[in-house]
Amino acid sequence: MFEIEFAFKILEIFIFPGFLFIGIISLLYEWIDRKFYAKLQNRVGPLYAGPFGILQPLADFIKLIAKEDIIPKAADKILFTLTPLFSFSLMLTATLLLPIIDISGILSFNGDIIFAIAIMTLFCILVFCAGLSSNNRFSAVGAERAVLQLLGYEIPLMLSIVGVALNVGYLRISEIVKYQSTHPWLIFGPQALGFAIYVIAAQAELERIPFDIPEAEQEIVAGWLTEFSGRKLALFRFARDLELVYVSGLAVALYLGGPLGPVISGLEIFFYTFYFIIKTIIVLLILSTIRALFARLRIDQMVNFSWNYLLPLSVLQFFLVRLVI
Amino acid sequence: MSSFTIPIGPQHPALPEPILLKLEVEGEYVVGVDVDISYMHRGIEKAMEYRNYIQNIYLAERICGICNVAHTVCYTLNVEKLYDKEIPPRAQYLRVIIEELNRIHSHLLWLGVAGHEIGFETLFMYVWRDRERVMDLIETITGNRVNTAYTTIGGVRRDITSDIEYKIRKTMDIVEERTKYYKSVAAAEPTIIARTKDIGILKTIDAINLCAVGPLLRASNVKNDVRADAPYAAHDEVPFNVITYPYCDVFSRILVRVDEIFECINMIRYCLDHLPKGPIRIKLPLKPPKGEAVTRVEAPRGELLHYVLSDGSEKPYRYKVRTPTLANIPSLCRMLTSSGDYIVKIADVPIAYASIDPCLCCTGRVQIVDIEKNKKWIWSWEELKEYSKKEFKKS
Repeated sequence: MFEIEFAFKILEIFIFPGFLFIGIISLLYEWIDRKFYAKLQNRVGPLYAGPFGILQPLADFIKLIAKEDIIPKAADKILFTLTPLFSFSLMLTATLLLPIIDISGILSFNGDIIFAIAIMTLFCILVFCAGLSSNNRFSAVGAERAVLQLLGYEIPLMLSIVGVALNVGYLRISEIVKYQSTHPWLIFGPQALGFAIYVIAAQAELERIPFDIPEAEQEIVAGWLTEFSGRKLALFRFARDLELVYVSGLAVALYLGGPLGPVISGLEIFFYTFYFIIKTIIVLLILSTIRALFARLRIDQMVNFSWNYLLPLSVLQFFLVRLVI
Repeated sequence: MSSFTIPIGPQHPALPEPILLKLEVEGEYVVGVDVDISYMHRGIEKAMEYRNYIQNIYLAERICGICNVAHTVCYTLNVEKLYDKEIPPRAQYLRVIIEELNRIHSHLLWLGVAGHEIGFETLFMYVWRDRERVMDLIETITGNRVNTAYTTIGGVRRDITSDIEYKIRKTMDIVEERTKYYKSVAAAEPTIIARTKDIGILKTIDAINLCAVGPLLRASNVKNDVRADAPYAAHDEVPFNVITYPYCDVFSRILVRVDEIFECINMIRYCLDHLPKGPIRIKLPLKPPKGEAVTRVEAPRGELLHYVLSDGSEKPYRYKVRTPTLANIPSLCRMLTSSGDYIVKIADVPIAYASIDPCLCCTGRVQIVDIEKNKKWIWSWEELKEYSKKEFKKS
């Protein structure tokens, strides 16, 4: 009996809804993001690999893996090699927190929401290490900008998530989802403001326009990514895709009722997975639209914006939640 | 804080053409800049001395791909001055039409590039889509999209029919409407304003002292346009306004160029309305008489100057081109250097650089710098030949 349960758990972690499933949908989401962004810009987007170019992210990944992997002479070899691995595994672990087929994720414990926030900050610190370890002028500027940007968006992001926990009364993602099965989704109410702050901060976390400052192509080539090539770049890009799933999945769990929705009993797994995918895609499309609407801000403008508008707003939202409860 | 150098170029994603901007940087602040433009010397002036006047039309056109019409118009006007013959007025009007179409496409292209430099990819994609209409129109009129070879010595190569005239008017309406939309976007979008307002400042007095030309000068509130000051082709008959804006920054340059597109559209409409009848070309002998001539035209990037010295043969004895980008490089250095209250950040360099609308393929010059002796000089042709012979023998 114990063996079967163990085997089931292994399957859950590695196949569904674990690594394999997450890997597939992260590539799918990259395609949706690229295709939608292209449509907004009056382009066609990926077209050739597979039907409607749906296999393009996979093709890019395989291509990058096959490319020459260069380590610059001046780079700190250990850190330079380890940061892509760490960031990839970190994001893969993080996605285990997402509730996909049930109200709780594969990994669920008391206080996991703090863990979820910490992972985002950790990723940014890895980015900083990656930039510094490559010992390149553009990378150094990019790494410096990544950390400065973290100072801007981190506190509003945390406050918006803590606002949710405050509303529900638990520091556990599964409890937050459970709360939304009996109450209306948290986005309907004072948390709507929190959702808006979360989305803006997530855009900065994902380093996308208007906050793609640490890898601003026109200014500092590829920022902290400049020296990475081949397998390492592939891992970083995959980690970015996973982060996209993670950030939008977390938004769904916190504000949009997680994977919940009307179901036929007996088929919960399929329905929950379906709702999870639909809801995350909606968040993803919001993120893509923001990306198409703005020019890139300068780093000082971004930090100013965060401290002048985002932070007071998130404090206001915090008080709103207190007042309503 | 100690400073370090960040090289932007000669290969860099922000630069479509090779230039080296050695930025002296303290943190995010740029405190000094050293420009090296010598990555693209093509020897066109020398090549022109080995080709006859007809062949040189096509060579002059290739000095710059984007403002090619300005170069051919300038070249043909210049050579025609040697003959001292009257060019048919219809040809002059057609030259204005094609020149202004070229200006529209160049300014739209620049607007897209400016969007790209500040990370606004959507603006870039949209503007370039609509620029395609102008390119198609140029193809309909001349038979080619980019290197049109429309003007020729003594007139223009092709006439426009009523069919083409209809197409021009229709496209102008669409382009006008789209440009109005882009102007409303550029003037109101908060991130664009944040990235361009008070960036790359070139004060009026500096612009005059450093001999800036074209839209850069007009955006620094100086009313200067060769089309108005020294009219050529049919510009003395076609009414238009010289656009100036007083802000002296990148935002002001965006507005100048966008407003100039409207002026171009009106000029094209006026030309179509008042197109004189008659021949489009007169035949001129292959060998012009002895003499020399200088012509200035207003290229999309600013004042363009051509000089020719003829010795009576079918080839020019000496040909000299001064392109607008070269004239704007000193102003660029001023824009990129922080001084007093004015601070330049690394993030502002691409857009400030792009705001002069650089076109380096016509800018390359040979200058030899000996770093050890700290000496700069320019070699004459004979010295260069001697040097190459000496070096060749050594190896």
